Amino acid sequence: MTLQSTKFSVPSEKWKYKSKRSERTRSAVIFIASIFLLIYVLAPVGWLLSSSFQSEAEIVSVPPHWLPHEPTMENFNAIFFQEFEEVTYETRRKVDPAAGGYIPSTAKDLLPSMWNSFIISVAVVILNLVVGVPAAYAMAKIRFWGRQASVYTILTTRVIPDIALVVPFFLVIKNLGLLDHVMSLIITYLAITVPFTVFILVSYFESLPDELDKAARVDGCSRLQTLIQVFLPLARPSLVAVMLFAFLTSWNEFLLALMFTQTIASQTLPIIVASFTSDFTISFSFINAAGVVAIIPPVILALFFERYIVSGLTAGAVKG
Amino acid sequence: MARILFDNVTKYYASVKAVDNLNLEIKDKEFLVLLGPSGCGKTTTLNMIAGLEELSKGDIYFDQQIVNFMPPHIRDVAMVFQSYALYPHKNVFENIGFGLKMRKYDTAEIDRRVRDAAERLHIEHLLDRLPSQLSGGQRQRVALGRAMVRQPSVFLMDEPLSNLDAALRISMRAEIKQLHHSMQTTFVYVTHDQAEALTLADRIVVMKDGVVQQIGSPDEIYERPENLFVGSFLGNPPINLLVGELVSDNAGVIFQKGRFKMEFQEEISTKLQPHIGKSVTLGIRPEDVNEQGAAVPGLSVSGTVNTVLPMGSEQYVSMTIEGTEAFFRLGKEHKHKGGDNISLDINRNRLHVFDQETERSLLWG
Amino acid sequence: MSGFYTGLKYTLARRFNYEARSAGLFLFPVMSVLAVVAVFPILYSLYTSFFNLKLTRPHRVPFVWFDNYVKVLSDELFWESVMRTVSFTVMSVVAILILALFIALLLNESFHGRRFISAMILIPWAIPTVANGLLWKWIYDSGYGALNGLLLQLGLIDKYVVWLGDPDKTIPLIANAFVWKEVPLAAILILVTMKSIPVDLYQAARVDGANLLQRFVHITLPSLKPGFMLVMIYETMMAIRHFDLFFLLTEGGPADASHVLSWQIYVETFRNLSFGTGSAMSYILALVTFALAYAIIKMLGRRI
Repeated sequence: MTLQSTKFSVPSEKWKYKSKRSERTRSAVIFIASIFLLIYVLAPVGWLLSSSFQSEAEIVSVPPHWLPHEPTMENFNAIFFQEFEEVTYETRRKVDPAAGGYIPSTAKDLLPSMWNSFIISVAVVILNLVVGVPAAYAMAKIRFWGRQASVYTILTTRVIPDIALVVPFFLVIKNLGLLDHVMSLIITYLAITVPFTVFILVSYFESLPDELDKAARVDGCSRLQTLIQVFLPLARPSLVAVMLFAFLTSWNEFLLALMFTQTIASQTLPIIVASFTSDFTISFSFINAAGVVAIIPPVILALFFERYIVSGLTAGAVKG
Repeated sequence: MARILFDNVTKYYASVKAVDNLNLEIKDKEFLVLLGPSGCGKTTTLNMIAGLEELSKGDIYFDQQIVNFMPPHIRDVAMVFQSYALYPHKNVFENIGFGLKMRKYDTAEIDRRVRDAAERLHIEHLLDRLPSQLSGGQRQRVALGRAMVRQPSVFLMDEPLSNLDAALRISMRAEIKQLHHSMQTTFVYVTHDQAEALTLADRIVVMKDGVVQQIGSPDEIYERPENLFVGSFLGNPPINLLVGELVSDNAGVIFQKGRFKMEFQEEISTKLQPHIGKSVTLGIRPEDVNEQGAAVPGLSVSGTVNTVLPMGSEQYVSMTIEGTEAFFRLGKEHKHKGGDNISLDINRNRLHVFDQETERSLLWG
Repeated sequence: MSGFYTGLKYTLARRFNYEARSAGLFLFPVMSVLAVVAVFPILYSLYTSFFNLKLTRPHRVPFVWFDNYVKVLSDELFWESVMRTVSFTVMSVVAILILALFIALLLNESFHGRRFISAMILIPWAIPTVANGLLWKWIYDSGYGALNGLLLQLGLIDKYVVWLGDPDKTIPLIANAFVWKEVPLAAILILVTMKSIPVDLYQAARVDGANLLQRFVHITLPSLKPGFMLVMIYETMMAIRHFDLFFLLTEGGPADASHVLSWQIYVETFRNLSFGTGSAMSYILALVTFALAYAIIKMLGRRI
């Protein structure tokens, strides 16, 4: 035994050496690629973050300060804590004394719009579950006439571009008397998120064995009880994914909100933030801080639930 | 009380007939086994009893009541599935008690029944476990327990033993039989395993392609198969089949295939009289032979042994009869090896003759 | 014993049995929501596209058959915007596919920090398009933007450039912002396909003496085809209909440099208030995406 291993030790050492070297090359390549990727992904956001901590005076320096030399929380203070008074010639200086810029009067809309976005997103998430879960269960486990057709109908509604639908959407909303009302966005967002919800949940429910469904029904569950007692507890990961997608879509949506909202009664965060960008009187640093505020909730959700998102995105999508 | 009656029941999947015009009465407290190869419609039949599949035509009665469109949760049936279908998120206690909970039994009663069932199945110590922490055999018991506690009027089982290993399967068979005894209710059991069917059943229904082939007690099914399919589906090793002709001889009607001849007993010979000249299949079960010294043409088979398969308690020998390989089961008192010449006396009481064209038995049915 | 349920009664009992009733009940909410907010608008939009509907004169709405379509299709501006949409789409999709492939290749390796990186790449995917627009508008800013600053510090330019003011650069720059946000999803989809390639395929190739490059060309690439197809179709759909960045970064400008089809629809309907021609354009766009989507639904829906 010992003899044999010594006999083979020379070539195997050589092999080891070679593989060690190629292992080192591999690590180096991976390391460099990772750095590049991280820079690509994070640098733009980092730059936004950095400039949101700069004062109006600092942000206009040439070349730009990559990191704030005198980091300031003023922009965020303005968003969250500023008493919004009418900005006058006298008051504007004290808001950002360093620059002489001022916080726009529309800035007071930022928090209410955030609240609107939150209410809308939460409502859309809840309605998605209420409306989407039973539909997905029915499509996955009940054999009924027209089942295939309903699956295709639901998927097809997502195919038409939103831009092509804004006019009729607009007319529907107008006829329902919901213009400039959060309900208008809740309904339309529900319509754009629910097909995806149904699709993900259908693939998940289908992956659960039919016999489980049968066992529950023989055990005395009605269809509704089977869904609630057996399938819902098992679908938790998919439900999390579905809730996240509905929330993120609603939080991030721009086009429809642009069309249906007119005042702060229904305007969402993206609308208010977008309105800053075309307002030349607003300081860049303040806009960037507003951008950061809009980014933080979805990014936190995405990072926290990364696993669910990835599995949800790939649910059944790329199999063979 | 639960008598189940299928009255001209047909089930289509799209255009495929899964069950074709089924007429069947399942008696109260009977142990009925649906036996057949996969895709024969036996599971569909079971599901129709449970209400899990709806029928395309005909009626199903529970006692006097038509239950065609009654959903499963209203029917008083319990079912054990091949994959056990335990609820992964519930522990053993909750799994067993779930059916009772859904039927609104009070907690004390559920507790009593679950513990009682667990004790009978020897799984009292597992009640807190999740299904994923159980072995295959234990899961099987939980599945049985889940059906047992309900004390249903019909107890359905869909290949409940086929995921177990061989030794466990045999001991579970005995337990299921025991269970039927103690529960005193109607059992309907689906399997493709003839041994299970023969050991468990009061009556067996053999199915193929959605059509019932034969209904009868295990003995009837085995001893008097009404057609070629039933004859060849049961028996291990399977029945030996020789295709030949019925001819008339001075001994009466005889079977002939080339130089091989087989005489029948007088009674059978009379029965076959009208079929002289017909092309038929002769069936000889491997065990229906006795070893004997000298060959008697017309009463025995003789030839050269091809192979010997020792099986421990017995042995199978194969020989070629007019181009067809046949297996016979012999005791171990004679040692044989390939190349030996032997001759075997056929037990002519137990021969089977099937019409070559219709495949129906010419002797029974 | 003849059947108790016969004829029509049987058929009705079957059609409205417990299963069908439950299915109906479960599907009713989703179907009614979609009927009101999706199916009706789709049909209504088709209907509008046959009328000369202008909100500037709401009381005279003549039915004009295919005039709107004819008008749109014979409009030079329309075709120019189609060409811009095409170039935006091609640019974006090609870039997305290439970048996503490299990211997927990286994340397919096992190394320290892989989980961290795969979490980080979700950031662009998660942020709102408005923030994405804001972000890149700020980066491209002619006075204080990061791009100018960086290039100047690296000595690649000698004075600040008005990036979004150059008609030749607008589309590529917007495409870049679009790609940055879309790449994570594409990479995840390709990575999943990559993970589904059986390992023994690589081992077999190794035994046959294939080197790293050969294994990549002969095994990885062909096996990735379904993933590529999916990403390509999906991202094409997204790029063709994309609106937000054009609105946020350039509003179709400078001059008409970023006047793409979706922007054209927006201008026609909401600035000129010509709902008829706007709808006609929408329908043309919809038909194109529909054709693409048909392919994707075939792929996604196959398992249902």
